[in-house]
Amino acid sequence: MRPPWLIAIWVAGVLALAGTGGRVAHLAAQPAGQPSGRVASGPNGCVTCHSAEREASLSAPVAAHRADVHGQRGIGCVECHGGDATTADKVKAMSAAAGFKGKLTGQAQVLACARCHSDAAYMRTFSPKQRVDQAVEYAASAHGRRLAEGDTRVATCASCHGAHGVRSASDAQSPVYATNVAGTCGSCHSDARRMTRHDGTAHPTAAVADYTSSVHFDALSRRRDLSAPTCNDCHGNHGAAPPGVDAVSNVCGTCHAVFAARFDTSPHKPVFEKACVDCHGNHAVVRPTEALMGTGAGAICVTCHAEKDDPGFRGAAAMRASIDRLSGHIAKAAGVVEQARNAGMEVGDQDLALGKARDQLMLARTDVHTFDPKKVEGVTADGDKVAAEAEAGGRRALEELSFRRRGLTASLVLILAVVGALTLKIRQIDQRRSAAQ
Amino acid sequence: MASHGAGPQRPEGEGTSSGLYGWLDERLDLTAIRTFAAEKTVPVHKREFWYCLGGITLFLFAVQVATGILLILYYRPSAEEAYESVQFIVTQVEFGWLIRNVHGWSANLLIGSAFLHMFSVWLLTSYRRPREITWVSGAILLFLMMAFGFSGYLLPWNELALFATKVGTGIVGAVPLIGPFAMRVLRGGDEVTGATLSRFYGFHVAVLPAVTTLLLGLHVLLVQRQGMSVPIDVEQAERAGSPPKSRPFFPDFFLRDLVLWYVAIAIIAALAAFLPWELGKKADPFAPVPPGIRPEWYFVAMFHTLKLIPGHVLGIEGEVLGILGFGVLALILIAIPFLDRRASRGERNPIFTAMAWLGIAYLVVFTIVGYLAE
Repeated sequence: MRPPWLIAIWVAGVLALAGTGGRVAHLAAQPAGQPSGRVASGPNGCVTCHSAEREASLSAPVAAHRADVHGQRGIGCVECHGGDATTADKVKAMSAAAGFKGKLTGQAQVLACARCHSDAAYMRTFSPKQRVDQAVEYAASAHGRRLAEGDTRVATCASCHGAHGVRSASDAQSPVYATNVAGTCGSCHSDARRMTRHDGTAHPTAAVADYTSSVHFDALSRRRDLSAPTCNDCHGNHGAAPPGVDAVSNVCGTCHAVFAARFDTSPHKPVFEKACVDCHGNHAVVRPTEALMGTGAGAICVTCHAEKDDPGFRGAAAMRASIDRLSGHIAKAAGVVEQARNAGMEVGDQDLALGKARDQLMLARTDVHTFDPKKVEGVTADGDKVAAEAEAGGRRALEELSFRRRGLTASLVLILAVVGALTLKIRQIDQRRSAAQ
Repeated sequence: MASHGAGPQRPEGEGTSSGLYGWLDERLDLTAIRTFAAEKTVPVHKREFWYCLGGITLFLFAVQVATGILLILYYRPSAEEAYESVQFIVTQVEFGWLIRNVHGWSANLLIGSAFLHMFSVWLLTSYRRPREITWVSGAILLFLMMAFGFSGYLLPWNELALFATKVGTGIVGAVPLIGPFAMRVLRGGDEVTGATLSRFYGFHVAVLPAVTTLLLGLHVLLVQRQGMSVPIDVEQAERAGSPPKSRPFFPDFFLRDLVLWYVAIAIIAALAAFLPWELGKKADPFAPVPPGIRPEWYFVAMFHTLKLIPGHVLGIEGEVLGILGFGVLALILIAIPFLDRRASRGERNPIFTAMAWLGIAYLVVFTIVGYLAE
């Protein structure tokens, strides 16, 4: 296990590299100590006394710690707070001589967590894949930098993970579980008073509200799609910071790789300052529709390409026309195929063709990000052909249905004639037999 | 050359005619068949209509054989190809859609007419001495028709068929002692897979047709040998001196049969054109159970009964009790001619008549309730 003085120096070095200046010396001077082991055994003086405390703020940590991921692994109070849990003497237990640190805030709290969580050898004893770079990332984050500058209102580890009731990030009750992250970030970032800087300038507070109106939040919260992004997926978690302007398309491209690749080849790439954000927004990303494209009302293209003789204006109109045409063909073909299906005809092949046409439409919507009308037209033209095949198949099925019904009518007329003739014959035989008797 | 045959031999040159008929007559004794047909009569009374049900059932079976043979030409009995081959039949093969739909609808009408035939025979007490074997063979034929339906339902290898077969074979598995073994034999393993499909295909086109042909031959032969039964009251009136009324089978009764067969063709054609059988989604054993799983209509009453039986009755598992109950009922059905002693003496037995009506009421009510409950 790494010696505590080495960890302290290392964290201090990282913070120094992150530009923390004079505060580093203070952090480095903190007694770091060494994780003593996983399982706390024997009587715990902290628990004995704090359980009996009437003041909730002093007794609540004991109960919370029982469900805490650390508590469940036997990591006791003194590992973070210092002191001596083996003695019943309060003064002795919480003395400076026993290394008691009291309530941890600011950098002391970060350091307390980092003492174990930056120790790869120690963390490996709990999980072989446990990451140990959180403190490094935090030091480079907006939070870490401001903390180093002396702003104690910024988030530290406990602000997001909790202090005594820490749960695994994969636990749905954890404040850092994917579906809870926006609420956790919003607890500070939606608070206008907290987001007001010392100099009176305000940090934006609409981000979380905007995000909750987005298609990403909808996917995450309503469809429970845990792959949908929340705050930390774009901003980072321990290293949380606004993505740099140049990095936006990389951030979005993490998931939307094909769109990002198309955009990188487009003439807009060197022009758009905020890349994807210029058209789609950042936090309030809504479900994109055809309405965003083209030259009509609600189209984004015309915000830059407003003049009709502008090649961009014509290109936007052409791409929209190509996509609208294919959408129309698909809708028409789907209507015909559905009509045949409802009449009981087998239209499996037509369904397959419609699927291919929809794939082409999807591809065309992707290729819009090349901002190349010819490329989009090429893709939609292929889709048009497949949609036309599906429609023709559907019409053939309807014609076949009509043929069957005509055939049925003809055969029923024939059968009726035969039944009539047989009935007459039966009557004739019966009459002949009656006459014979 | 001297003949060593068991039957009486026609002296050479006696009673023969020239041409193909003469050639065949000399070898097959067609004249005897013609004489039998010419002399065959059918009793005439106010309930004679019910005689037609045997004929229409036989006709629909013939339709099944003919359309089934045509379907075999294109059908491929494997999990990989079954669904696609049926899709090919209904979309690519000339009039394939018609053949498949006629096969499907005719199968349902066949089972319907077999049920009606059985209940009409039951209510007319036609099973009484000396027609006990005719009844027994007919009852077994009805079960065979249901087995045809059950095995044929899986063959398109679609989602509904797969899960309905899982449920159906699972019920077989609940039979005490032999159930698990019987289920494995039916499925060709522990689960419904491609092996089950191959097996059901084998049952549907080889095993069941072979057994049915033998039994049907016996059934029809007995009907021809013993003639049509008359209701007890008609028989009693004849004994009292009322002259028996009858009409020749050819052409009088046969033409009436023919009218009904044409009507059946018209109904099947209309159903095929307006209510074609859906192909559904291809079976996927790993897919979740789709909604609307239910057996064919002729199993719905039994299926619903099993669902209504409590989990445990008198310490016995409800499903097991239900299956045993249906087994006992099937045996009672087969044994009716031997249980109804009064009928064998030519007397009406109200208990067995009431049982028939009770059976009809049960099937109708539980089938309707079974459909409404889903």
